[in-house]
Amino acid sequence: MTDEVEVTVTVNGRTRQSRVEPRRLLVDYLRHDLGLTGAHIGCEQGVCGACTVLLDGRTARSCLHFAVTVDGSDIRTVEDLADFDELHPIQEMFHQKHALQCGFCTPGFLLTAVELLERTADPDEAAIREALMNNVCRCTGYANIVDAVAEAAVELRRRSSA
Amino acid sequence: MSVDQNGAVGQSVLRREDDYLLRGQGRFVDDLPTPLNTLHLAFVLSPYAHARITSIDTSEAMALDGVVDVLTGADLAAMVKPIAAQIELPGYSFNTRDVLAVDEVRFAGEAVAVVVAESQYLAEDGIELVEVDYEPLAAVTDIHEATDPAAPQVNPTVPGNVYFEGRFATDNVAAGFDAAAHVIAEDFNSNRVTAVPIEPRGCLAVPEQPANLVFYSSTQIHHLLRTALAEFLDVAESTLRVVVPDVGGGFGIKAALYPEEFVCAALALRLRRPVKWIQDRYGALLTDVHARDNHYRVEAAIDDDGIVLALRAEIRTNGGAYSALPFGCTLETTGGARMIVGPYRITEYEYTATAVATHTAPVLAYRGVAQPVCFMAIEGIMDRIARRLGLDPAEVRLRNMVPTAELPWTNIVGVRYDTGSFVESLEMAMEMVNYDEFRASQAQGRLVDGKYRGIGICSFTEVSGTGAPGWRARGLTRLPGFDSGTVKVEPTGKVTAFVSHAHSGQGHFTTFAQVVADALGARLEDVTVVEGDTAAGPYGTNTFASRSAVTGGGALIRASEKARLKLARIAAFMLESTPEDIVVADGQMHVAGVPSRALSFQEVAETAYAMNTSDLPEGESFGVEETDFYDPPLVTMANATHIAQVAVDAADGTVDIEGYVVVHDCGRVINPMIVDGQVMGGVAQGIGEALMEEFVYDPDGGVRTATLMDYLLPSSVDVPNYQIAHIESPSIDTVGGFKGVGEGGLIGAVAALVNAVADALSDLDVNVNTKPLRPALLSRLIREAGG
Repeated sequence: MTDEVEVTVTVNGRTRQSRVEPRRLLVDYLRHDLGLTGAHIGCEQGVCGACTVLLDGRTARSCLHFAVTVDGSDIRTVEDLADFDELHPIQEMFHQKHALQCGFCTPGFLLTAVELLERTADPDEAAIREALMNNVCRCTGYANIVDAVAEAAVELRRRSSA
Repeated sequence: MSVDQNGAVGQSVLRREDDYLLRGQGRFVDDLPTPLNTLHLAFVLSPYAHARITSIDTSEAMALDGVVDVLTGADLAAMVKPIAAQIELPGYSFNTRDVLAVDEVRFAGEAVAVVVAESQYLAEDGIELVEVDYEPLAAVTDIHEATDPAAPQVNPTVPGNVYFEGRFATDNVAAGFDAAAHVIAEDFNSNRVTAVPIEPRGCLAVPEQPANLVFYSSTQIHHLLRTALAEFLDVAESTLRVVVPDVGGGFGIKAALYPEEFVCAALALRLRRPVKWIQDRYGALLTDVHARDNHYRVEAAIDDDGIVLALRAEIRTNGGAYSALPFGCTLETTGGARMIVGPYRITEYEYTATAVATHTAPVLAYRGVAQPVCFMAIEGIMDRIARRLGLDPAEVRLRNMVPTAELPWTNIVGVRYDTGSFVESLEMAMEMVNYDEFRASQAQGRLVDGKYRGIGICSFTEVSGTGAPGWRARGLTRLPGFDSGTVKVEPTGKVTAFVSHAHSGQGHFTTFAQVVADALGARLEDVTVVEGDTAAGPYGTNTFASRSAVTGGGALIRASEKARLKLARIAAFMLESTPEDIVVADGQMHVAGVPSRALSFQEVAETAYAMNTSDLPEGESFGVEETDFYDPPLVTMANATHIAQVAVDAADGTVDIEGYVVVHDCGRVINPMIVDGQVMGGVAQGIGEALMEEFVYDPDGGVRTATLMDYLLPSSVDVPNYQIAHIESPSIDTVGGFKGVGEGGLIGAVAALVNAVADALSDLDVNVNTKPLRPALLSRLIREAGG
């Protein structure tokens, strides 16, 4: 077994110090070492986006990073979106608009939508579709996801102007 | 006794599943907590399509620290019997598969060895150290070449590489062709695809008392899996429990029984430790069952009005290297042959349907099964009739369809269409898409601003909710048709409903609760659904082929009615009334006309459970827990029309979908939101199949599409917004009036898109009879036609 290396990362606001093998994928570290199983492994080829997390505020494929290479980073996963009982507005709109079926790809879509709406308060449909194009959903046919993100944008704008 | 329907059925109730899935708290098989002593598996896959295994050296892998065992085909053969699909069709060539290849591999990706290690990383290290020597042999992957007498033999018990050839003919087919004013004939070619659920397959076997083995699997068919594990591992079925956690999409490919499941279970029993296997995407693409590698030759004898007098179909399907369990390699073959007649009045029909063995991955169920291809064929024929006679394609369909007034109608292969809306769905879809206006705009020519514009129709029947007679008609005598439901009213009056299904995204916890709430007279929020566990509720046929609404819904209605009758008997006794006078609604029971004389479910249940001072009526048993089974008719037939409007770029051959309309009829709708979701998701997969997806083998059987960068899936920018409308023609043959809806989205999209592209290019001299319709193909066709 390869020698382990110390890694310090902030995950969902909490500092985590761990010893990991240099080859350990970030997604395996999150899922199996920290128990944050919301990020899913759909391809390990960087294509499907089910493992998407926010790495220093930007979406990243956690299957394409090693845990050791994100030492010092700030990571946000789907588990951090809801405020206890209250779902994040994007999550709530996914529920209202039936934007998930099996739910396996959903965490990746949610974090991609978070990034989009943090950058663009009022995206049009084309901008939403373009932002989502690197996440694959095999169940929904996307239309409800696009709707949910658009409605979440409305809700977030309403809250920020309130 | 009567029940005041709460009206939960028919409402777009938001899903109960969403909250935990949205929080990242889904429990897919790789998310399950595993005991610390869990062992992990990795399989050594053959890179060759056909080769003799001359030696396997496991010593280096065995020497790796953390590797517990390395096993080959011979080792597993001592633990697991060869697996085989049971097909009882005359002339079917029975064949078996070793769970790990012994001596010979027959498709690229077939597993030859398995490494058992303390972690997944170590198991994958181990497979790199297993030395396999192969002697490559000639391979055949093409369905036509495979039956050449000189072709290499795929399977020793499949002579000539023909698994099965089915024939059927009515008496006067030849006369129909003799009388024909025209004969329209075409060949249709379909691309090999696979479902690609975003969650790969996986399983976790945990030896545990009192069941000897708890087996978690991302399967759609937990009861059938348990029976098969018992049979092929030779262990008592009663010592096995199969549990289905959340499943990240199935689409039929998880309704197969796979070698890895048998290996995982066998090793857990042998090593007496938990054993886990999680598939990677490479393995998924190579070893999940494939679909649609089909060829159809169709001939229609027609009169001068475009009426079909007789139909001939020659169907050839690629079954792959082994007949996969449980449905076998004839699934697409018999399916296409029986379903192609669709909504049309076909009175003379003849088919030859052949399942062929090749050195490719086994073929089984993928959403729609044969229907996307057989409707591409028959709907392609309808368009060709229209072009030949100068009629509108919609008019040709309307002239040939079975009108609603003639339903129930039994088609030429004996399938009864009890209710439906073939004509109405087409007419409504045409209105929604402004069909006549679009046709008028084409009069000025189809090429405008550098794009050829076309419109395509697919009107189709959708097989759903198949009962035991339906499976028997296709040789699947070992496949039941029924499902089961158990409805339990707890002492607190809350309701637990067990059903023999397993979800992979369909929203069963929500929709089945709607069904039970109405049938029992309970409040929706008081009903909890439990499924996907062989230890919770009785046996069933499980979740595939658009079954669950029909079979699970029917079983739960019947069980609910029994439970409701029992509650009414007890309530009547308590209220000094008669059961016939008890009205049930909203979790309350009262004497008809006297709402003040009411009891809650809890008050009645407390009597049933002897938790108060009331006695039970004489002869009444304790508890309120009722089970029933429901086997639907031969086939429950849904129907729909899809119309696609496309623009094909004259310069680069790309296809834009500018409009997409679906009018769907799945009988009584349980939850419109979820039904629409099924349709939209299916359409997106149909877009993939029609325009981009293709699993490609080299002529020697090597794999060209081993990643999702090579096997293209539709994304958010590839799909349009959809307009969906429903017609509800409740089934009169099923309990509840439901028809299935899982597959129609995909079925209709394929033919609608292929026909739309063909229509767009119909001013050019090109023949669009193949898929996928990728830009390279279309730009070549346009260029060659001088467009």
